[in-house]
Amino acid sequence: MLLQLAYRNILRNKRRSLLTVSAMVFSSSMLLLALGVSAGKMGDMLASATEQYHGHLVLSRTGYQPQRDMYAHFAPEDGMIRRILEHPGVRGVSPRLRAFGLLSQDTSTIPVEALGIRPEAEATVTTLQQCIVRGAGFDSSGNGCLLGTGMARKLNVAPGDAIAFVTRGADGSIGNDLLTVKGIFETGNTRNDNQLVLTELPWLQQVTALDSQIHELAIAVRAPMQAAGLARQMRDDFGNDYTLQDWSVFLPEIRDAIIISHVSNSIIMAIFYMATALCIFNTFYMSVMERTREFGVLLALGMRPGQLRAMVLCETLLLGGTAVLAGMALGFCMNWYMQDIGVDLSGHVSPISYGGGTILPRVRAVIEPVRQTGAALMLLLVCPVAGFVPANMAARCVPIKALRGE
Amino acid sequence: MHTSNSLLRALKAMAIMVIMACMTALPQPVRAQGVNLQQLVRQVEEQYNGDSSHITATMHIVTRQWERSITLEGWSLGRELCLTRILEPAKEKGVSTLKADKQVWNYLPKVDRVIKIPPSMMGAPWMGSHITNEDLVKSSHVDLDYALTLEEETADFWRIACTPKTDAAVVWGRIVYTILKDHTIPRDIAYYDDAMVKVRTIRFEDVQHVGDHVLPLRMIVQPSEMPDEQTILQYRTITFDLPLEESFFSLRTLKGK
Amino acid sequence: MTLIELNNITKRYMSGNQSVTAIAGLDLAVRTGEFVVLAGPSGSGKTSVLNLIGGLDRPSSGTMTVAGCQTDMATDRELADFRLNMVGFIFQSYNLIPVLTAAENAEFVLQLQGIPAPIRHARVTELFAELGMEGLQNRRPGDLSGGQQQRVAIIRAIASEPALVLADEATANLDSKSSTDLLEMMRYLNETKGTTFVFSSHDPLVIEQARRVVTLHDGRMVSDTGSRA
Ligand SMILES: Nc1ncnc2c1ncn2[C@@H]1O[C@H](COP(=O)(O)OP(=O)(O)OP(=O)(O)O)[C@@H](O)[C@H]1O
Ligand SMILES: [Mg+2]
Repeated sequence: MLLQLAYRNILRNKRRSLLTVSAMVFSSSMLLLALGVSAGKMGDMLASATEQYHGHLVLSRTGYQPQRDMYAHFAPEDGMIRRILEHPGVRGVSPRLRAFGLLSQDTSTIPVEALGIRPEAEATVTTLQQCIVRGAGFDSSGNGCLLGTGMARKLNVAPGDAIAFVTRGADGSIGNDLLTVKGIFETGNTRNDNQLVLTELPWLQQVTALDSQIHELAIAVRAPMQAAGLARQMRDDFGNDYTLQDWSVFLPEIRDAIIISHVSNSIIMAIFYMATALCIFNTFYMSVMERTREFGVLLALGMRPGQLRAMVLCETLLLGGTAVLAGMALGFCMNWYMQDIGVDLSGHVSPISYGGGTILPRVRAVIEPVRQTGAALMLLLVCPVAGFVPANMAARCVPIKALRGE
Repeated sequence: MHTSNSLLRALKAMAIMVIMACMTALPQPVRAQGVNLQQLVRQVEEQYNGDSSHITATMHIVTRQWERSITLEGWSLGRELCLTRILEPAKEKGVSTLKADKQVWNYLPKVDRVIKIPPSMMGAPWMGSHITNEDLVKSSHVDLDYALTLEEETADFWRIACTPKTDAAVVWGRIVYTILKDHTIPRDIAYYDDAMVKVRTIRFEDVQHVGDHVLPLRMIVQPSEMPDEQTILQYRTITFDLPLEESFFSLRTLKGK
Repeated sequence: MTLIELNNITKRYMSGNQSVTAIAGLDLAVRTGEFVVLAGPSGSGKTSVLNLIGGLDRPSSGTMTVAGCQTDMATDRELADFRLNMVGFIFQSYNLIPVLTAAENAEFVLQLQGIPAPIRHARVTELFAELGMEGLQNRRPGDLSGGQQQRVAIIRAIASEPALVLADEATANLDSKSSTDLLEMMRYLNETKGTTFVFSSHDPLVIEQARRVVTLHDGRMVSDTGSRA
């Protein structure tokens, strides 16, 4: 009965209700879009940083990080990689050897970081091999390499060219050999594009005199944002000789950026909630003021003040619920669109490297069902809170005064 | 022995440069208690290197992870030019280094390439030793970049402290030479960083007569932070005043032979 | 059986800083099944008396019992229940709930009482028929004439078969034909169902119809014809 009354009361002033509902639909769908776009931006940034280079988790000998001490290498024991891959949260594992050295062609010599990888394994962790803009990928030659556009420009090399790599061997010798450029990648990340060269693992092991040794296992997981938790779960499997670190250790700026974005999202949410609350408060304050006489009648007929309060709260919830449902539908549709299609800005802005990640020149949304639905449902909570004061006003009506229209 | 030369030079020749620079640039030579420091250092340098030289040497490098010996030969002409070539071990035979025009090139026979060391790598170890590329190049300019003061004088030695001139781009925060009065040969040189923390010491030993020169034939580079690591450069032969042309110190020679 | 008993009731209102005495020491007793008119000039205290009897307000002093409830002592909650279960109200300006249909308005009190829908419908449909309002059940109050609205208000007041129906100037907004019809209806209900009616009016036509007329002046009773049974 209260619900029916509430429902009829909302329909009574159709224009006002419609106005309030559209304001709320607009604000809640915009809130969802803002959250989706922000999640998209963070996702892009995290993906670019982790999926271009680090991976989500890195297992290395204790003492390898952060100095990357070339002597802290290890030969992965039998089944180590398989065991990691068997973990349900893990998507891929790539063994890597890292060496710092010089890459030289004609008169140009630049310091580089060489990453010795197995191409197929690396492809399960990073997308570098998908970013090739010239040339192809690794082939069976064994001494192939992939390097970034910036480096290719500085060295003035093209696919097919042979370049010299020099580094210090683990035995103190001068490790040097020729590499053949097989492909040139472009990630948008300055560091990767200017300093990184991918070689085949056995080749780099031989040049650095580190036969069958690696420096790290880069691991890709299914839920990057939860990587730290997974690392905690898996850590015990390896003992103290090894250290398993998640991306937030390597990319503190991105971790901070994500925290900051959560905070700023909360502020945006608070503003949206505030605006919605004011909107609801205003609507219902007016509507209650207009209806004092009617409330007097209801009280005279025997309705209890509590029922009157419940009726007004029902009205706010009905109005808010409708609006939030419609807003969620609209918001998720927009996010969907932005997730699938997005807005490409590459014609107007170039990628920005930040904290090891890249902010791509596009606006893209990511649907995070739990977080976003939660944010929308919070709006539903805002309704009765904002409606509480008007509802109480209604409940405090004195029948004779209300009847007299005071 | 570009290396040795370089090193010696690097270590000592700074002094020469200092002397020369001071003589030409400064209105008055720096004097302390009757000693002309530039003159003194120049004397040391001139005693040490002829106009040109050829050396053979063994460099023994000890690090925490490995220990190895390299035999090399080297040529030098004046302060600015030198060339070294590795003779042993076989794996690295023919790896050569040319220092000219304050720059360093390496030749790698295995890949048949000449590699110019980029500025950012000048601080990296030379041939895996505790000597850096920077040492090969910059040390000969210590005289220009640092101001000299006589810090101590005993019956046996002079101690000369070098502090960077205000706007000089230098590697070290302070360098202290201890030069023995007998034959004017160096005993040790200590290097400090900007925070005045000692980074390494170079000791000189095995003083021998070589023709009409008297010089220490052993040089020991000791990093302060790693007492269990060091590089020992032992000169085997030194010949002074060869008929070397400037054109010898070319990229062609670096690759050739 | 005495349904309403007022003993030395006084009601004062505060208007601004001034205290207005609307009722001054009123004693009144009404028995079940009576049909009483409160008469008197404007400002004489008719509405005030009805509000007190209906449990919409409490007296400033004196004691009163209505349908077994000591309304001067009751809490708000008890008064609400008292109004719901004991009293039917008919207002001068009908005061139907505009968002509900005629039938829904009529059923409203029953609904508050928690009477199941089929019983409600049956009872209200019967009353609509009895009062000649068939076919109007689904109209909104705005689509009904004043007389029709007031009939709906009467159905709402009597549907729950309260012990007592109070009507304040129920005919004041109606033409004489409608007024007469309405009055006849109330008489009819009073006679057939035994419902006790107390209503106020200064319309001689209405007063004529009453079995008992209580005349007020300045909050005092100046005459009471008594039961003309
Ligand atoms: N809420 C109130 N506040 C102040 N004074 C009031 C209030 N209600 C009634 N009064 C005063 O009490 C007196 C009696 O009023 P009441 O409404 O009972 O008279 P009434 O007989 O119903 O008059 P009318 O025929 O005009 O309806 C009047 O003087 C009125 O001004
Ligand atoms: Mg009145």
